[in-house]
Amino acid sequence: MPYLKKNFGIVPLDFVKAGEISIQVHGLLKTIGFEAALIRRVSVCAYESEMNVVMHGGDGTLSLSVDSDSIVLEVRDEGPGIENIDLALKEGYSTATEEIREMGFGAGMGLPNIQKNADAFEIHSEKGRGTHLKMSFNVKSRRE
Amino acid sequence: MAQLHYIRIDEERCNGCVLCMKACPTKAIRVRDLRVARIEGYCIDCGECIRVCPRGAIKAITTWSNASKLSPYTVISASPVLYTQFGEDIMPNEVLLALKKAFKYVYDQAYTHELFNLATELYIKENREKASPIWPLISPICPVVNRLIAHRFPSLLKHVLPIVTPRELAAREAKKRLRHEKVFKTEDFGVYHVTPCSAKMISISSPMFLETSYLDGAVGIHEVYDLVTKNLQHLEEEVMLHRSGGVGLGWGISGGEIAGLDEGNCLAVSGIQETIRYLEKIEMGLFREIEYFEFRTCLEGCIGGPLTVSDRYQAKHTLQRLVRLFGQEKRPKYASAQKAYEEGWFFAERKEPLLGEQEKRLGIREAIERQQRVEDLLQKLPGKECGACGSPDCQTFAEDVAEERVALAACIFLRQGKKEGDRP
Repeated sequence: MPYLKKNFGIVPLDFVKAGEISIQVHGLLKTIGFEAALIRRVSVCAYESEMNVVMHGGDGTLSLSVDSDSIVLEVRDEGPGIENIDLALKEGYSTATEEIREMGFGAGMGLPNIQKNADAFEIHSEKGRGTHLKMSFNVKSRRE
Repeated sequence: MAQLHYIRIDEERCNGCVLCMKACPTKAIRVRDLRVARIEGYCIDCGECIRVCPRGAIKAITTWSNASKLSPYTVISASPVLYTQFGEDIMPNEVLLALKKAFKYVYDQAYTHELFNLATELYIKENREKASPIWPLISPICPVVNRLIAHRFPSLLKHVLPIVTPRELAAREAKKRLRHEKVFKTEDFGVYHVTPCSAKMISISSPMFLETSYLDGAVGIHEVYDLVTKNLQHLEEEVMLHRSGGVGLGWGISGGEIAGLDEGNCLAVSGIQETIRYLEKIEMGLFREIEYFEFRTCLEGCIGGPLTVSDRYQAKHTLQRLVRLFGQEKRPKYASAQKAYEEGWFFAERKEPLLGEQEKRLGIREAIERQQRVEDLLQKLPGKECGACGSPDCQTFAEDVAEERVALAACIFLRQGKKEGDRP
């Protein structure tokens, strides 16, 4: 089965480049020609998880795997880890610093938004070790 | 199939440098064998190539450049950018009078801008009441933005505000007003738009949302500049042709359109790269809190258009003066605009826009395979983005190779057996 995999490095606290990777993911999926609604869901998840790594520090990678049945995003980082995952999944709960909130980020909507948009979603995190996020999407309606 | 556009590259003057190819936002230009630049892909008439060409080899075709003369019975509808080209002491009405010495009928378009602002406010209010409103709305004014959306962001077409643009409204009304004049039936009659914009010709010859344009052609500001300058010296007639306030004039600067809106959470963006960035983000689902986006692909707005004469910052200063002078009040009455809105004055039958030249449609499997080929090729390429292969960057070159439009050996770094990291 044709299969595409691409890795992107995420630079923590670089708010100038932030969002760049999700734009690339978005462009790639558009070039392949997935349905617009599916692309939007993947892009929102890519954006939110990219921003999480940018905001909370620690080097990270986003990897995109695509085949004709599914799209999978995996984001790993070496950041501080999430102390309480249940809390982090609540809308509005945020541990972002005051500085980051002043920039308009860190509203506590990231993980809830990811949960809403991904078809399947796994999160593993260990305090002090980093976080691993896996998001999967089904390619239901194919073109033509 | 050659796609219609109004940008011409003079192959005699072109020396095959890569500047236009690099500047092209749709990556439509190729310079094969570094001999001559050719438009091979989807051109949106933005005019970025005109700006960067050091040899003046790239020109925009207009009605004037095609006919070299317009009949004196031509109706001229002028973009207010024209008023900014002659320094801050020249008033809009003087510019219009100068035009009137050459053409019998001259209309100011800025007043229609203010009407359009009122209609936009009404539409935004109406949209808020809808069960599932589409946000953000996107201004339909810039024809390059419309083409960019059709070509690269077709999912955003439904965001484009469905109100007829002021230039078209002004032309439609001029025709209505003159339909009883004798000249109306002659061949000489036509409504022409004086414009800073290289994309007006395409928006007139094949409009995106209208069945046919109400305009008959476009003339560049640079083409009437000498004529206006000369006629400004001998103005006799005293008629008031300019009717707008500062709001309608201000549209020439980025942010000018939304400055005329008393309603809505709006944002104005100018410059081609910035516009693309924002459209990408809107397509990704960001900016849902914004109600109205004003995009202008020319930096600083229409005063930065490729067919202007005056420096864009000089023009901006002049225009800001004019806006102050004519005040921040819109001249048309809200009640009459509302009545016209309800009667459908601002709307026209909307045609299904033609999407940009679509690449041959692959199935998902084939498309993934192709993309994997492109990624593999990219790994081999040096990432120098030099353009010597004749494609604008390594990514596009990889796509061209994958499509078998060019051989991999066109990469000079690969020919020399070098790759990224091979540094002295």
